[in-house]
Amino acid sequence: MDTERTPPAIEIRGLVKTFGSFRALDELDLTVTTGEVHGFLGPNGAGKSTALRVILGLLRKDSGEVRLLGGDPWSDAADLHRRLAYVPGDVSLWPNLSGGETIDLLIRMRGADPAQSRRAELIERFSLDPTKRGRAYSKGNRQKVALVAAFATDPDLLLLDEPTSGLDPLMEQVFNDCVAEHTARGATVLLSSHILSEVDRLADRVTIIREGRVVETGRLTDLRHLSRSKIVATLSGTVPDLTGTPGIHDLAVDGRQLNCTVDPEGLPVVLTALTSAGVEALTSSPPTLEELFLDAYRDRAGAGR
Amino acid sequence: MTTRSRSVTTGWPLLLRLALRQDRVVAPVAIAVLVLMSVASAAATPGLYADEADRVHAANALNASPAIVALYGPVLDVTSVGELSMTKMTVLYAVFVAVLFVVLVRRHTRVDEENGRAELVGGTAVGRDAPLAAALVEAVLLALVLGLLVAVGNTASGLEATGSLAFGAVWAGTAMVASGIAAVAAQLSASARTCAAFAAGAIGLLFVLRAVGDTGPQWLSWLSPLGWNTQVRAYGEQRWWLLLLYPVLSAALVTVAVFLRGRRDLGSGLVPARPGPATGSPRLADALSLAVKVHATTVVLWSVAAGALGVIFGMIAPGIGDLLDSETAQSLIDELGGALVAAILSVVAVVLSYFSVAVINHAGRDEADGRAEIVLSTATSRTAWFAASAVVALVGTAWLLVLTGLGLWIGYVAADGPGVGNLLVAALAWAPAAWVVGALAVLTLAVGVRRSALVWAWPAGFLTLTLIGDLVDLPGWVKGLSPYSHVPSVPADNWSWGSAGGLTAVAAGLLVVAWWRFRERDIG
Repeated sequence: MDTERTPPAIEIRGLVKTFGSFRALDELDLTVTTGEVHGFLGPNGAGKSTALRVILGLLRKDSGEVRLLGGDPWSDAADLHRRLAYVPGDVSLWPNLSGGETIDLLIRMRGADPAQSRRAELIERFSLDPTKRGRAYSKGNRQKVALVAAFATDPDLLLLDEPTSGLDPLMEQVFNDCVAEHTARGATVLLSSHILSEVDRLADRVTIIREGRVVETGRLTDLRHLSRSKIVATLSGTVPDLTGTPGIHDLAVDGRQLNCTVDPEGLPVVLTALTSAGVEALTSSPPTLEELFLDAYRDRAGAGR
Repeated sequence: MTTRSRSVTTGWPLLLRLALRQDRVVAPVAIAVLVLMSVASAAATPGLYADEADRVHAANALNASPAIVALYGPVLDVTSVGELSMTKMTVLYAVFVAVLFVVLVRRHTRVDEENGRAELVGGTAVGRDAPLAAALVEAVLLALVLGLLVAVGNTASGLEATGSLAFGAVWAGTAMVASGIAAVAAQLSASARTCAAFAAGAIGLLFVLRAVGDTGPQWLSWLSPLGWNTQVRAYGEQRWWLLLLYPVLSAALVTVAVFLRGRRDLGSGLVPARPGPATGSPRLADALSLAVKVHATTVVLWSVAAGALGVIFGMIAPGIGDLLDSETAQSLIDELGGALVAAILSVVAVVLSYFSVAVINHAGRDEADGRAEIVLSTATSRTAWFAASAVVALVGTAWLLVLTGLGLWIGYVAADGPGVGNLLVAALAWAPAAWVVGALAVLTLAVGVRRSALVWAWPAGFLTLTLIGDLVDLPGWVKGLSPYSHVPSVPADNWSWGSAGGLTAVAAGLLVVAWWRFRERDIG
């Protein structure tokens, strides 16, 4: 897809949102390119939901630029919302409306026709009982109601706030399939989460935020380059002394086994040394998002000290 | 057996402390207002009459009016200062007492179950019946506090001490019975709102039973605890034994509640929840249709209540015709809150305006819980969401007033009332004032208060103002703060375009300011 000429689905520059003296969003930048799955990562209270609410025009920004699907989310809210679907993190339903009624209501409120939608198929796939009343649903089932309503039509943009927090692994798979189907037809997805594996599987790019500021943003592959590889090698010859090699960390030698983490720039040196010592077995694992995440935190915390 | 009964209520003292903490504002304020009403009434009434003959005359006039008797109950001992002073307190204000205790008990039982807090608690080392036990212990404690304060307050205002003690016991007894009713209602349905409807219906039924009994077949009054309130004769020759009936009935109701509780699961009701439709109706497609659907059951229940009360009071009203010949009697009744129908309407209309406040409070909870967020993330505009609740609240109130007027008219005609006035107009005369109250609630929502229940401060404040204004000589402008004070007592007085137009304009102005404010503020 040619993303160069299409304007971004979401473009945020220097967004500030305060609640009293509390700065929930502090000069936040976020660009979600059309057609991508963008992971929006951060711990609880980092400002993810606040950012989503500003994007939806529910909260008024204090300063900064926010563009949603080429429009202003505050003044054009209702029109822009026809083109998107939102699943809140904590879904609250009407106690006396059935799940089916709620799904149809939400689809109709977005200007679509439930009869023309994939609601029936999705209810089946998520194994949801649509005849239960809102008050009778568990957290996971309330989330399913919102997800079915969101996935049933073909919105340009899906805003999903920690959408799988109440789903079991089987339903998470259904969720992943649904996201894949929507991206296949060209939809953009902004997926907020503190569950890293979920974003790892789905996202093309991620933005990591903390205390209302961006800590890290980029393609997952690029971000991984910023971090270290974990190497475990079993050697046939003498274990070389790698102490002091630039870019090597957490070095540990146990008999013929060597463990270390290596910065990308240190990899050639380390691999050459290992090869000349004779390698019997070698595993190199990319950092998980978990580690990326911790890295980002460690660096900020370290810089702060 | 003992171990079992102990285990199901394990942990209630902890929950009691939690409940008292949750109610630390609502309960003291409500109790203070109720006590204040009684004390003000006790202090002010004797001064209204020159001598005993004057008082007896007034009491006889009250008893001669079936409408007044239906509303307040009879004055059994016409020579008693206390009984005359407590005319409104004995039955009508006892209903407010009952409502308070239903609210408190329901809050700690069914409401907690509906929003999942009970499950959180149920997962800890707390017995199955502990929430109910804690709620009822709290209710009994507060009932005793209320009764004691009223007894002390009335005595301090100059009424005789023994009578005041009996009167305090009557209110405490009413509170206990109401708590028992709420405990049973909480078991029946999974919905907190249906629970409220059951309890309100039961209290309404007891009130009507007494109203009919007091104006007709006496034995009916004896079936209603509200009828006992009068029959205790707190300020006459007390029937102390009658006071025993309250705890007995209350205990019976609690036994039923505990029995029912054992036959249902946490979070479910005895009346099983019917499955809903698998698909939504095409008519349920926007904010207004959603608001109508959400409030449909409530509207039906209120409609039935408004219509039924209208018919009942309409049938009672014609009996007053003869009394109107006596000029003194008429002026006395006027003093007590307008003539006949107007007196009934002044109470019914104030209660009906609570409907609009309840609807707006509901919208506030929709926002706090995140349902407003879901709706506003669709193509629904802020204006549409906001207008939906305002329309249901204000149009709904007017509709209920129309039903009351129609009911009054039907009852009046059915009872061969002389010279049927335009009772529909009389009822609608209250609409502008009710709209002002509704619009103030809307404005409160629009400003974005954290606790949406604060919208209740408006009707509660105005009611207090009206009630105190009846008893104490407040400056005119203070009385005038209440929109209810500007409503002419139609049909006793003439319809006033000035009042109707002015109040409607105020309501409209408030709504515009509210809408403008709501468009600018954060949601959630």
